[in-house]
Amino acid sequence: MEADELLVLVAGGDQKAFEELYGLVSGPVFGLVRRVVRDPAQSEEVAQEVLLELWRSAARFDPRRGSALSWILTVAHRRAVDRVRSARAAGERERRAARRAHQPAFDQVAEEVEAGLEREWVRRCLDRLTALQRQSVTLAYYDGYTYREVAERLRLPLGTVKTRMRDGLGRLRDCLGGVA
Amino acid sequence: MSPFGRLPGRRPRALHSLAAPYALDALAGTERVRFERHLEGCGRCAAEVRALSEDAVRLAWSTAAPAPHALRERVLAAVRTTAQEPAPSGGPAPARSRPHRPLFVPFATVTAAAALVVAALFAVRAHHVQAELDTARDRTREIAHVLAAPDARAARGGDAHGRGVAVVASVSRGRAVVTLSGYGEPPGDRVHQLWLMRPGAEPRSLGLFDGDTPLVAAGLGRSATSLAVTVEPDGGSDLPTSEPVVQLGLESVGFGE
Repeated sequence: MEADELLVLVAGGDQKAFEELYGLVSGPVFGLVRRVVRDPAQSEEVAQEVLLELWRSAARFDPRRGSALSWILTVAHRRAVDRVRSARAAGERERRAARRAHQPAFDQVAEEVEAGLEREWVRRCLDRLTALQRQSVTLAYYDGYTYREVAERLRLPLGTVKTRMRDGLGRLRDCLGGVA
Repeated sequence: MSPFGRLPGRRPRALHSLAAPYALDALAGTERVRFERHLEGCGRCAAEVRALSEDAVRLAWSTAAPAPHALRERVLAAVRTTAQEPAPSGGPAPARSRPHRPLFVPFATVTAAAALVVAALFAVRAHHVQAELDTARDRTREIAHVLAAPDARAARGGDAHGRGVAVVASVSRGRAVVTLSGYGEPPGDRVHQLWLMRPGAEPRSLGLFDGDTPLVAAGLGRSATSLAVTVEPDGGSDLPTSEPVVQLGLESVGFGE
């Protein structure tokens, strides 16, 4: 079954449907959260919150507004970004080196799949953006910086960053497929 | 109050320009709150944000990674004791007619189809004990090999019930990763068998499905025109003995010359 249908069943309290939904979305949710949060333990915490929130708030999903997977990943991204910002505000530095240190072989293979996908599709499309578009989009989406922080880091006026983000997203749409 | 606030028209425009940062979750604090309040009263902005958010979410497709096994246990345990929120006022989403999935998806949606394949992989992992991971790892390596091919293309086929078949195929490697979803286990001791259909030739078996586990089909020639899945007796058949439950053309992924 698709995530959209499962989510409707989950909203009705169907725990079996939730298990199935978990199988479909836990990889995308965890991967996205880890990409933004980076710290493995914190990523797991945030992913757990997001997945549990799916159970709690499934009734809020409105299929007229888009696909279930988009909705779920939008929720996951928001939570991840909020976490990374509060961690930064608390003075915690990213511990990038720690991750990937002791991962089982299977994860490495899965990451090869991941890397393959990224290289072939998203990366290729990101490469079509201008450098400033790409940096504006990825600093915000993958690293969780606000557009004000992005402007500071890139030494650009706020208006320019806003425009680069919009244009960058537009070009991504053209490249990855413009299904509205 | 900001000096712009006094200029009629200026402030809304300044708010509009925040649609892209908002879609990327790049607004914080009061700015985010203010923009969300603005969205409630601005249908055009809400539609724009929705479109931009769909674009932003594509960036997530490249990040899927297997969730730790312990996470599954914790989440499922928590679910058993966690109450659900009622549907928001205004009623729950009404029963809807599912839009029919196009039989072939364009290359544009390749990432979405690929993400489904990856999601299926991770589901596989969750159900296997360590001893079985070696086999799974070999299969994953094979799958990675197909996904990483420069000419890898994806397609999906399915029905209105959400059941379907997803394929990521590479002509240069003569291989395809095929995932069956939504059909469940066939009744009795029967199995789902995958077939290669070619013009003027008998169907060739590409293997038996094991639940949702992706199947790697090898040795696909350029003349391969479509894939078909049938229900067969345990162990599979030499030739199909029943009508296909689903078929998928391979033209959109570069085959069928």
